[in-house]
Amino acid sequence: MSGIERYAAPRTLEEAAELLSAGGATVFAGGTDVMPQANAGRLRFQKTLLNIGRIAELRGIGESNGVVRIGALTTITELLESPLVRGRFRALWQSCDHFASDQIRNAATLGGNLCNASPAGDTLVPLLVLDAQVVLAGKPNGTLATRRLPLAGFLTGPGRTLRAAHELLTAVEIALPPAGFDSEYFKFGTRPALDIAAISIGLGAVREGRVLRDVRVAFGAVAPTPVRAPRVEAALEGRIADDAAIDAALEAAADEIHPISDIRASDWYRREMVRNMLQRMLCDVREG
Amino acid sequence: MSAKVEIDFTLNGVREQRAVAADMSALAMLRDVVGLTGTKYGCGEGECGACTIRVDGVTLNACLMFAVDCDGREVTTIEGLAATPPGEKLRASFVEHGAVQCGFCTPGLVMQASHLIEKNPGAGEEEIRRGIEGNLCRCTGYRKIIEAIAGAK
Amino acid sequence: MGEAQKTVARETLIGKRIPKMDAPEKASGRTRYLHDIDLPGQLHAKILRSTQVHALIKSIDTGAAKRLPGVHAVITAADVPWQRPIGVAKDHLPLKTGRVRSLRDEVAAVAADSVEIAAAALALIRVEYEPLPPLTDPVEALQPGAPLIHPEPHGGDGGPQLKPGAPVAYTGKPDNVAMTFEYAQGDVAQGERESDAVVEDVFRLHYVTHCCMGVSGVIAEFDASGNLLLHSNTQVPFLHKREFAEMLGIDPGRVRIIQPPIGGGFGSKLDIYPFEPIAIFLARATGRPVKLVYTREEEFEASPTRQPVLLKLRSGCTRDGALTFRAVETLHDNGAYTSWGATTPFVMMQTVSSLYRLPHCKYRTRAVYTNNPYAGSFRGYGNLQATFAVEAHMDRLADAIGMDPLEFRLKNAQQPGEVTPQGMHFGTCGFKECLSTAAARSAYQRKRLEHASRQGDASPLKRGVGIASMLHVGGGAKIYPSDGCGTILKIDDFAHVTLITGASEIGQGSETVLAQLVCEELGLPLSSVTVVNNDTDITPWDVGVHASRTTFIAGNSAIGAAKKAKDKILAAAAAKSGRASGDLQLSGGFVVTPEGEKLFELGKFLRSLHFSDKADLVMTTFYYEPPSHHQDREFKGDVSAAYAWASQVAEVEVDTRTGIVKLLSITAAHDVGRVLNRLGIEGQIEGGVVMGQGYALTENLIVEGGAVKNPSFRDYKLVTAPEIPEMDISFIETMDGEGPQGAKGVGEAPAICVAAAVANAIHNATGVRITSLPFTPERVYRALRGKLEAPVWNVPA
Repeated sequence: MSGIERYAAPRTLEEAAELLSAGGATVFAGGTDVMPQANAGRLRFQKTLLNIGRIAELRGIGESNGVVRIGALTTITELLESPLVRGRFRALWQSCDHFASDQIRNAATLGGNLCNASPAGDTLVPLLVLDAQVVLAGKPNGTLATRRLPLAGFLTGPGRTLRAAHELLTAVEIALPPAGFDSEYFKFGTRPALDIAAISIGLGAVREGRVLRDVRVAFGAVAPTPVRAPRVEAALEGRIADDAAIDAALEAAADEIHPISDIRASDWYRREMVRNMLQRMLCDVREG
Repeated sequence: MSAKVEIDFTLNGVREQRAVAADMSALAMLRDVVGLTGTKYGCGEGECGACTIRVDGVTLNACLMFAVDCDGREVTTIEGLAATPPGEKLRASFVEHGAVQCGFCTPGLVMQASHLIEKNPGAGEEEIRRGIEGNLCRCTGYRKIIEAIAGAK
Repeated sequence: MGEAQKTVARETLIGKRIPKMDAPEKASGRTRYLHDIDLPGQLHAKILRSTQVHALIKSIDTGAAKRLPGVHAVITAADVPWQRPIGVAKDHLPLKTGRVRSLRDEVAAVAADSVEIAAAALALIRVEYEPLPPLTDPVEALQPGAPLIHPEPHGGDGGPQLKPGAPVAYTGKPDNVAMTFEYAQGDVAQGERESDAVVEDVFRLHYVTHCCMGVSGVIAEFDASGNLLLHSNTQVPFLHKREFAEMLGIDPGRVRIIQPPIGGGFGSKLDIYPFEPIAIFLARATGRPVKLVYTREEEFEASPTRQPVLLKLRSGCTRDGALTFRAVETLHDNGAYTSWGATTPFVMMQTVSSLYRLPHCKYRTRAVYTNNPYAGSFRGYGNLQATFAVEAHMDRLADAIGMDPLEFRLKNAQQPGEVTPQGMHFGTCGFKECLSTAAARSAYQRKRLEHASRQGDASPLKRGVGIASMLHVGGGAKIYPSDGCGTILKIDDFAHVTLITGASEIGQGSETVLAQLVCEELGLPLSSVTVVNNDTDITPWDVGVHASRTTFIAGNSAIGAAKKAKDKILAAAAAKSGRASGDLQLSGGFVVTPEGEKLFELGKFLRSLHFSDKADLVMTTFYYEPPSHHQDREFKGDVSAAYAWASQVAEVEVDTRTGIVKLLSITAAHDVGRVLNRLGIEGQIEGGVVMGQGYALTENLIVEGGAVKNPSFRDYKLVTAPEIPEMDISFIETMDGEGPQGAKGVGEAPAICVAAAVANAIHNATGVRITSLPFTPERVYRALRGKLEAPVWNVPA
């Protein structure tokens, strides 16, 4: 018996923010995280069940002034089908390609994946590599206010973000990376589909000849949140991905990750996989 | 008790109005409120695909969808699909290729297959395999299911 | 009339691709499984399970639960003092009294207007436990001073007394040994003396579970006269009919079981589990139909598993490659209560003693109680575990004497006509053909050498091939007083056949193959047959769907009834036509001459028999009992009327950077006697191979401290479509003399030797032999680096 007293499906952001500012609302979009968590008893419904899936302002992928805005309600399938995402944000596209199943991709939203803030969240790792920002909107004092936060700071712990209870995540903004930038995502799970990553790695850089610049490295499932790895980045910045650089990167990685042991994998194995897969990705960069 | 919500939606081509509990899943609504039992409960957490339905043209797991979210949308279940030419073609192909044993996973697979074929009529073996990666079958080993889908394109 | 129309070509149905008769309904979503059935006035039941691994039950307070609106009954053991123990050893009371012995233990149950109300009522039940020391290591269970899991007679713990005078079959044990099995042939000491090579390993086979896509459930109702009607997916309706009657103290004739279409069986429904009696108790208490359906989480936590086994194997052979002896000892974790898992030694000793020719063998199993989940029967029934060990040693022994592993196997493979020391008579035996075919089609010998030569090279991806074979019963298994099946057949006035068979259908297509066999006899198309197989008030006795017996036994039964019908029709046709009945045949819906000339259209002829002075209808019956034998006290005897063989070659690719083992292909050769329904048998093999793949590579029910840690598909990994291997399947048709149209049973065979073949393939690829399952990436990765602990035999003598 869930105790939900009211259901609302607002059609505008304004309406949704109004409802949220009254407090006591459980928000859902695709339902692919909220429903199973509620069934498992890990989530208790509040008095208002708020369906934000009908808010048109939260849809769409568009570019303006060198910044790509992806609406929070964009489904994983829509991301997969976007030529812009596939062309310019390859790591993000790859993470969507490995995301659960077609049925879940058709319903799951980017905003939901971000707010769920899983340490293994598929889209979070490439978004960190892409220096994404999240856009939050709410009505703290009666008028609609918007703020932007870098994704890195937004994620504060497993299932925890800086989103205030009265706020909605409305969009993700990604500045178009410089020319010559490419990114790659690797996910290691023990089964192609429907798995929760045992580890995942995102890599991005600009290639100037064989030299790597503007290096970004992020890891998933090896810390309470997906994280950037500044020491690994520093080990590679401005260098060619030769053996020495790769070794330095791997050594830095060992210090920057803090995996746990659970039923999916031991911490030792996660460390080994980060090392082996990062090495493989960097060797591919060297060759390609 | 959860509040009851009135919803208005199209189900298998027919306009329906129902009252559903706010926290009810679309799966529970279809089976217990509407009485269509072709959509199955396999796991309740979106891992097995036995509850696959189509909503506004795309497949999703009914167990993960809120029933209230059906409001204003077009929902198709296996019962609806089976009555259409593409559904009949898929059924015939599944039957002919031996893709049905206990049959419990079959409605979900037929639903997913219909979406897969519609979206990608030229789907080859790899794409079919990936396309049904969200559907579990314990009896057939998938081989004949893949052949049935290829044979229904 | 032209020539073509006067005669009918006799075209056989045998070996054809025949679509499953119920497939159109299933593919339309119209089939009503048990979950889809709702009876008027039905209540919904839920079970309260223990929160303690091992504890005394001090008190159960159901007051608040009973007062919840919509609750019709809340019961505990105290409400059913006449309940009797169930299960293979009758050590299992449906509602626990006095103590709980595992986390799945059923402590109370609720019947309510809805599932939600029943769940809410469960939350209101207060149980006070006094924890007891948990016992979750079967090795510990044998130590002196270990906690005793079943120390006293039920009711003797201070809990509710059983009804005075009610026989209690089970009275507790002085130790934790639930069952023991011992078998010997020849003299293993002598065998070892004669050996030039001896190898020994300890193997650990893990917990996996059936994962039927349809969860467990039952609907129970009593009619106004107290007759019980159960809607149940039991695989043994007639055995259960009797057991439920005994449990309730009513006449078995007053128990009716209807079997709705099943969402998968695989052996999971061969024992009575507490949820069924509990639903019956609630139906009695409330006077309403009671429906009880598991959640998927409950299915993982409370269903029987495959039997986990710790197995020590010592094997030997001569330098010429003749097997000399096998000595096996196993420790079976029996869990808290005994189900079929404890009896897997029946099958395991067959493989250990008779897979390949073996003069000397010794086998011992102890099944010990713990507070862990209990194991039941699961496709292969111990044979996967035994074959995993035996086939590892076939490779190891070949290696030890420097012989090619295929040649070694061929040298020791049995041939038709052999009788094993255990008394199994291999009337037909395609073992060598299976080995040769699988090896040839997979290029096993060439690839094995090539892959071995690449073990040390720089590539991180290593390929390997491995071969393994299996022996399993293929003509039933005479473990009950009868291994038979009854058929009633009628043909109506329009030549429509109703085939009433005791054999259940569990998704494997038995109804279709039985109809096919009948149509073959009667010369009718498949569309002429309706199969009735799901109501114990209607169908004749069959022992049940297990041991891969249904096609063989029920098939022969159906043929027997069909032959009687044919004989009757042809005798009447002979009388009418003045020809000898031996001259006539049934074909294409007609009575025909040997030349195929049509004499009588069957329907018209049957009407003429019906509407005559004699009013003769065609209704026949036949009960088929296979010519097999019960094993004697030493487990010797020809327990099956035929035996099935298979060899499979697995090719794998091991990624040494991750430990991921990709199963590239399975090349299988199966001695099936004869292919009946080609479509159906391919489906059985393909499905069985993928089930074996899961057992080898992806599935692992993690049980720690008595708890199932991964009770969901999210963390219990079933194989998905992108992961299946290429499958090359050959059928070796040895035309078994006793089998229906020459066929033998095949249901379990394809799952049995996959893991063994994969283990040998991983060794070929990497040089590393892993003696414990599953071959999940982390375990393989560890093994490749010498960091995987090999199983140890630390079992007290």
